[in-house]
Amino acid sequence: MIDLRIAAVGDIHLGEDVRGQYRRKLEGIEDRADVFMLAGDLTRHGTLEEGRVVADELRGLSIPVVAVLGNHDYHSDLQYEIAAELRDAGVIVLDDDGVVIQCGDKKLGVVGGKGFGGGYAGKCASEFGEREIKNFVSHTRYIAEAWKVALKEIVADHRVVLSHYSPIKETLEGEPPEIYPFLGSYLLAEAVDTAGADLILHGHAHKGSEKGMTPGGIRVRNVALPVLGRAYSVYCLNCEDEFHSHDSQRQAG
Amino acid sequence: MEAPQYVVARVQQALAEDGRTHELGIRVDIRGDQLFLRGQVSGAEQRERLGQVAHETAPELHVHNEIKVVDAGAPGEDEHLD
Ligand SMILES: [Fe+2]
Ligand SMILES: [Fe+2]
Repeated sequence: MIDLRIAAVGDIHLGEDVRGQYRRKLEGIEDRADVFMLAGDLTRHGTLEEGRVVADELRGLSIPVVAVLGNHDYHSDLQYEIAAELRDAGVIVLDDDGVVIQCGDKKLGVVGGKGFGGGYAGKCASEFGEREIKNFVSHTRYIAEAWKVALKEIVADHRVVLSHYSPIKETLEGEPPEIYPFLGSYLLAEAVDTAGADLILHGHAHKGSEKGMTPGGIRVRNVALPVLGRAYSVYCLNCEDEFHSHDSQRQAG
Repeated sequence: MEAPQYVVARVQQALAEDGRTHELGIRVDIRGDQLFLRGQVSGAEQRERLGQVAHETAPELHVHNEIKVVDAGAPGEDEHLD
């Protein structure tokens, strides 16, 4: 039996000129996965027009779709309007909160939001000095705290965290180390390690690497589309052996 | 003459901030009067826009647009997290 199959991608960066193209690649996704998750940067400039393209591409899929926004989706200060367009199209948009989705007989809890930067333990910004720096760090701290609370409150068989920014630096490998503080923060990983989860998905680091792990041993996957090189990846939680053989047969056929 | 490092920074900033492009991950190199753009984008139009913005930002340089257009492929093998 398959426990739970999660299709995930980030950084699809859609615009009017590619309308319809991404949707075509989602054909058959309902046979491959139980839920589809999008890790932010759905648009290029965060305009309402682009937000509508994204909403149209995701509309009417027969599996639940959960998304967070990314920094690009905030660029035009229309993040709430874009989120509303997506919700109208049936997408669950997380904003530092959580949702429980019924997948067959299992409950999947998803917690997340955009996340933010600050860097990684030992080489990070701290809440000290100028107001601007303190605001930067406290924004990430606030987000991490909200995720921790949401994770602790959720009652589910599995819990997945969906973020745009990265909680760890392993999945940034390939990006210049100088920009790591703008790509994520260890505070996000610390919060999730404290509250517990089965998997963390993020995007944002287009030149990063797919696989990593938090200090607490939670699997992290950078699902940015340029990293995956495909329309989405599928991650199975607690799949039993029977599924492995079944799956390979299906692929061979 | 302006040091090439500053021109590179200016072009990179333009590619990120110009409303036509907003592309963050493009590598810019300058050798003499030649400017090279490298990286990956999802569409041919975006590649052309990046070349245009680079040209406008550094009109004195000859732009070589080596950006690759990548089309996201079909989903591959599932990963089992046990
Ligand atoms: Fe992105
Ligand atoms: Fe991003």
